Amino acid sequence: MTGDRNRGESSITVGPRWLWPIGWALLLLIGVLGIPALEPVFRWLEPDARQVIYARADFASLLARHVFVVGVAAVVTISVGVLAGIAVTRQWGRDFLPLAGQLASLGQTFPPVAVLALAVPVLGFGTLPIIVALMLYGLLPIVRNTLAGLQDVDASLKQAAFAMGMTPWQVLTRVELPLATPVILAGIRTSVTINIATAAIGATVGASNLGDPIIAGIVNGNMAYVLQGALLIALLALTVDSLFDALQQQLRTRLSAS
Amino acid sequence: MSQIDALPSPSSQYGHLNSVLICLSAAMLGASWLLGLVSVAPNRIVAGTSYGLVAAIGWPGALLVSLLFIAMGGLAIKPSRLHSYAQLCIVTLTLLLMPFGLMVAGHWLIDPTLPQARLGIGAAYWVVLFLLLLCLVEVRLRLGLSRLWTTLLLSSVGGAWLLCAALWLENLALVQEFQARDQQFYRAMLQHVVLVGIAVSVSIVVGLVLAMLMRRYQRLQRIAFAWLNFLQTIPSLALFGLLLAPLAWLAANVPVLAQLGVSGIGATPALMALIAYSLLPMVRNTYIALDEVDPETLDAAKAMGMRPYQRFWQVRFPLALPILLEGVRITAVQAIGLTAVAALIGAGGLGTFIFQGLGQAAMDMVLLGALPILVLALIVDASLGALADALRPGGHK
Repeated sequence: MTGDRNRGESSITVGPRWLWPIGWALLLLIGVLGIPALEPVFRWLEPDARQVIYARADFASLLARHVFVVGVAAVVTISVGVLAGIAVTRQWGRDFLPLAGQLASLGQTFPPVAVLALAVPVLGFGTLPIIVALMLYGLLPIVRNTLAGLQDVDASLKQAAFAMGMTPWQVLTRVELPLATPVILAGIRTSVTINIATAAIGATVGASNLGDPIIAGIVNGNMAYVLQGALLIALLALTVDSLFDALQQQLRTRLSAS
Repeated sequence: MSQIDALPSPSSQYGHLNSVLICLSAAMLGASWLLGLVSVAPNRIVAGTSYGLVAAIGWPGALLVSLLFIAMGGLAIKPSRLHSYAQLCIVTLTLLLMPFGLMVAGHWLIDPTLPQARLGIGAAYWVVLFLLLLCLVEVRLRLGLSRLWTTLLLSSVGGAWLLCAALWLENLALVQEFQARDQQFYRAMLQHVVLVGIAVSVSIVVGLVLAMLMRRYQRLQRIAFAWLNFLQTIPSLALFGLLLAPLAWLAANVPVLAQLGVSGIGATPALMALIAYSLLPMVRNTYIALDEVDPETLDAAKAMGMRPYQRFWQVRFPLALPILLEGVRITAVQAIGLTAVAALIGAGGLGTFIFQGLGQAAMDMVLLGALPILVLALIVDASLGALADALRPGGHK
């Protein structure tokens, strides 16, 4: 949402920082629509295969499902993670702060694949376990960075805000959150990047997304499928990552300007 | 992480009730009564029937468990140092009792005439285990114990569990899965450790060289970081895939390379991708570590007449070592997880069990792969973290 707003404002002068995400997104679009046209190239790579273009589902719907899964997980994790981070830094939630901090840093030790594998016995196969696993895993970087961002806000600034007669709510929304936003945004970026990769592995537990062609290609020994899936996932990851990069730069210039 | 460790010690907060432990105790009580404790299946593919707390370990067992959790919550109403130690004892006792619960449940619920019958660990067990570990972290923070203590405590509990599993828990599905393929398991474990070891050691050497070159040539620094960031962004499965196709083509068309062991599937692409991923955290931390050494210390060394290589190896490097080890820790933990994905392209390792198990819908086999990976990551994380703490100038934090 903030992306759209920033985009709208900067569309008067599309700065060079927006060129990367636009470029990657264009390449992704070309890839999704143009791969079937590249059949001769893939035929050269895999001359003996019966089919060289993955055809069980078209790439656009695979991409849409990938984005959907990561998007749903991201919306939930961002709202829950930021709220949890705010809650444990308030006076009434402070009891939970040490535990939340430890948990968030410990969570980085859990390999995403193991989390995904452990989610399946409990939740079953399909899209739902993937979304749940992504939510659990993606929560931790966001909580960690929200905590770090809010705790880094200078205590004297908060005191000054209180002294000016601001209510706790105003201090949170007008002082703490704006100052913590760059750090929180970095956490969201980590979370989403990891989730795009983990969702691809989710193809092995029955979710149909861009990981599908890779898994099918490995199983059937068809390198053309592998290449198609890998290219599109890589382009998706680069698009999203460069989008966050541009957002962060935008934020930085705005913070330093104000 | 450091800002969380640097919080004012919570031990000063004695006096008002500890709502964290009360919440955790209530959650454990709820989970143990409401979720399935164990499941029993006639063989490895059929989904098991789930049994609750009373059905699995009887009324005496259920009462004992509930009493432990209630005592834990009760002690948190008026926190004191003594109460915290009592809570530590309760957590340890409950952890030690967990395999006995499985033994009792196995004894009662498994029909001895069915040799294939197996006991699965239910959701309640996992949830309670997770919450107990959270309690342990909370009590540790309250008492201000060092990380080493909990590591020792948990390793002895883990040892007790392994002993129970080896001696009395032959009904447990996880144990049966292991016994059916113990040689395979040890081989996969070894492969996993070797792959991670090679990737991490290569990236340490390359990382150090690259970081030193970067300090000399600023242009290289920008280019190298841009490339490494770019590589890190590409999802692991995609990078494995992107390496797979060209290597397979090379192996098929250049016989010399095929003889050298290059092939699309297997350890070669896996190692290449693992090293590529390991380089970014390694180089970044090494660069920061070498760069953050206090210039005044280096000036002092220079004034003492130390030569450049002496200044590097005797002053800069030892001072940089804790942050450098932090990089090794991050890299190793990340590589342990990524190696699991490498099983998809035939590199072997513990991930093999995960993906085979998922393919056969045999969940116990998935656990046989996922649990050791998790434990391995935690062990490496704890030991390298402790080493970095010990090497920090001035000893422990």
